[in-house]
Amino acid sequence: MLEEKRKTVTERLASPDIRDEFGLETMDMNMGPQHPAMHGLLRLILELDGETIVRCDPIMGYLHRCQEKIAENRMYPAVIPLTDRLDYFANMHNEHGYCLAVEDLLDVEIPPRAEYIRVLMCELMRIASHIPSIGFLLLELGAFTPILYAFRERERIQDIFEAVTGARMMFHYIRIGGVKADLPPEIPEKIWNYIEGLERRIQPDFIDLIEGNEIFISRTRGVGKMTPEQAVELGLTGPPLRCTGVDFDVRRDYPYSVYPELEFDVITDDAGDVEASYRVRIREVWQSIRIIKQCLEKMPEGEVMADLGRRLRPPEGEGFGRVEGPRGEFAVHVVSDGSDVPYRVHYRDPSFVNMQLLQEIVPGHYLPDIMPIMGLIDPVSGGWDK
Amino acid sequence: MLEVLNQEPFRFLLTFGALIFLVLNLAAVLTLAERKVSAYIQLRYGPNRVGPRGLLQPAADVIKLFTKENIPLNRADRWVFLLAPAFMFLPAVAVWLVIPFSQNAVVADLNIGVLFFVAITSIGALGVIMAGYGSRSSYSLLGALRGAAQMISYEVPLILSLLGVVMLTGSLALSDVVNAQGGGFWNWYIWPQLPMFLIFFISGIAEVKRIPFDLPEGESEIVGGFMIEYSGMTWALIQASEFAMMAVVSAVTATLFLGGWQPPLPFLDLGAFNWLWFAIKTTLLLFVFQWIRWSIPRFRMDQLMDLGWKVLIPLTLIWIFVTALWMLIF
Amino acid sequence: MAISLPEGSLEERLRRYLEGLSGSHGLEEAGIEGNVVRVVARPEDVPAVLATARERLGILHLSFITVVDRGDGDFELTYELLDLRGGRVRVRTNLRSEEPVIGTVTHIYPTANWHEREAYDMFGVAFAGHPDLRRVYMWQDHFDHHPLLKSFEISTKRTFEGLR
Repeated sequence: MLEEKRKTVTERLASPDIRDEFGLETMDMNMGPQHPAMHGLLRLILELDGETIVRCDPIMGYLHRCQEKIAENRMYPAVIPLTDRLDYFANMHNEHGYCLAVEDLLDVEIPPRAEYIRVLMCELMRIASHIPSIGFLLLELGAFTPILYAFRERERIQDIFEAVTGARMMFHYIRIGGVKADLPPEIPEKIWNYIEGLERRIQPDFIDLIEGNEIFISRTRGVGKMTPEQAVELGLTGPPLRCTGVDFDVRRDYPYSVYPELEFDVITDDAGDVEASYRVRIREVWQSIRIIKQCLEKMPEGEVMADLGRRLRPPEGEGFGRVEGPRGEFAVHVVSDGSDVPYRVHYRDPSFVNMQLLQEIVPGHYLPDIMPIMGLIDPVSGGWDK
Repeated sequence: MLEVLNQEPFRFLLTFGALIFLVLNLAAVLTLAERKVSAYIQLRYGPNRVGPRGLLQPAADVIKLFTKENIPLNRADRWVFLLAPAFMFLPAVAVWLVIPFSQNAVVADLNIGVLFFVAITSIGALGVIMAGYGSRSSYSLLGALRGAAQMISYEVPLILSLLGVVMLTGSLALSDVVNAQGGGFWNWYIWPQLPMFLIFFISGIAEVKRIPFDLPEGESEIVGGFMIEYSGMTWALIQASEFAMMAVVSAVTATLFLGGWQPPLPFLDLGAFNWLWFAIKTTLLLFVFQWIRWSIPRFRMDQLMDLGWKVLIPLTLIWIFVTALWMLIF
Repeated sequence: MAISLPEGSLEERLRRYLEGLSGSHGLEEAGIEGNVVRVVARPEDVPAVLATARERLGILHLSFITVVDRGDGDFELTYELLDLRGGRVRVRTNLRSEEPVIGTVTHIYPTANWHEREAYDMFGVAFAGHPDLRRVYMWQDHFDHHPLLKSFEISTKRTFEGLR
């Protein structure tokens, strides 16, 4: 019934005749780009009827660096550190996607150990992205505490990354043809211990505290509700798509790297609202833990870098790379003209595509619902602005 | 000389001055407490650099806020904008006038103390509206609208939940209410009036505009709401009034439902030092305030209104009826 | 659930896509490479080809639209379609014009909305019939360049011209 009421309000105000007849006026409000709760630099132009949103128009470009143009002026390996700056909560996935695209061009064989290390790092990155995104969702609902618990986990994963790659955020670790360096000898055990600890902590620290909370449920259940048709039409991928019940995961459906050899489930939920996206994310963390354990067990010995020569000159042609990032399908399209710089690099970033949801879903919701819906999409500024 | 000070206008002015001093200090201490409590809930240390274990942090805060520039707004409705913090702060001080700190230790023992509390706290809503309207910003306006709607709605269950205590006591004076609860913790009104106690405390949180009812501020959507344009000392005054209101609600709850300065057991009577009991009870309630603040998310406006009008008010009405029946039968 | 994901083996599906697409449109080129159906269509046929893919073949997902500037007003557009179960259809078209215009596909794949806006912003490729063809990233009012064109040289000076 509430849905219907919202719909009539929206329709009433959208029609200018009725608006003039009754002297109704809407208020324009500018949210962002400097807004404390906004994910990065996003500006939303909102039209409000009281607290009900009539129109939502996202304006982007405040962090636009035109990465695609920069990449056209750099040699192939020198683009990798730039991809780190795309979606800075999924750096490993960006590197992985780009390297897959260039390797597709070069048609090289990657040493199996390097593949396992890549998957291991990507799954750790997924945990380090999903858990803070749950924290952000709660932060936007007004609960400040979970974000600090979430960042505790992220910090520990970053410690592992620092030991492996030498950097905490901008890794430049996955290289064309393998990875930069082998894992330090004590790291597998360290990762194993951390994962075991996380498995113990995740139930009491996140699920028990959040999932049963009455206010959390009332703020998220039915908010940002979308049907599977809508989700597919809008081209959503990742948790926003899976929370509507559409069973799609690049890792399983477009397998890359060593994912076909690993066992994991694709998590779906059929509610299609913010609460469902939270459930999908927290359960995907369990699956990532599963994958990491398998990686550590199955990891073969050997080289971690294929021999590609000193200077990369891929043949003329096109390369595609597609990975499942924490926010959805991250795809890279590299066009080569035979020289040592890419002729064109195109990134398909999940944050950018998933944000189209805002225009479609937000009208009819109340103003405070914008923030949970942003938490459903969980966009990252560097991702949508490239 | 001292005789003169005990004469009526002087005595009142002196004690009122002392109260303002007390409330301002209380607000300062509460900021530190808030930061420490939140830090321990959130796996942090909190302020620990200024003074031993960060105890001088409030002083540093006050110095910082006093030296900060008070940015005047060109577009603001100047007087409304500047007077709003005072309209928020003064009610928070004035309520202390009628609260009995200990036996005979009350500034003005009005025989309508409960009414005075209700009347004075509702002035706070005026301050919120003035702040939001005076700043002339759409965020402030939304915050003010929310604040007004929320504070006026929650005034109703707040008043209704007081009625049970008033009925049991048969008096509107707070000192009578406290005296009626003497003789041990089993005589406190929290036991016969448990639902009313919870409703009063919940509506109190809504009156103070703290999480889960901090919609007028709602920093994740309207970024501070009615106080978004304030800076420096005017901002500090709004913050202080929030903390002072929090202390007022705790003190009134302690007075009405937890026996005020009455000791929990008869042999623990401290005589002139009974205000310690009052202080302990108030502090405990303040801790509960902060505990809630840092543990749970915030409501949405429509849910807040639903809770107020559809749950709390019917419950209070039912319990008033039950109380009346109980009094009639026994 | 009203969404029906494709079933059956991958090879069979790819063959079905190829037949479905090449049967109904005069395609310049069509074939299967690995597990990708590669199709080259004339620019004016692109919306029709995608409509066939969406409505008759049930390919649900438009992954991205890439524009490649080959210089001298020669643009190459790639539409990557996924059937969400391993099958890929890559529709390629060549636009040869100083002021390129191509039909929009937003009514077939609503997700193309922002992809097309991005292509317009970066290359100046106009999409006829697009409901909301504004720039996505660059300044709306004073910037009239298209940065990813090969003729656009990186220079900070140009970025801020007209701002004063």
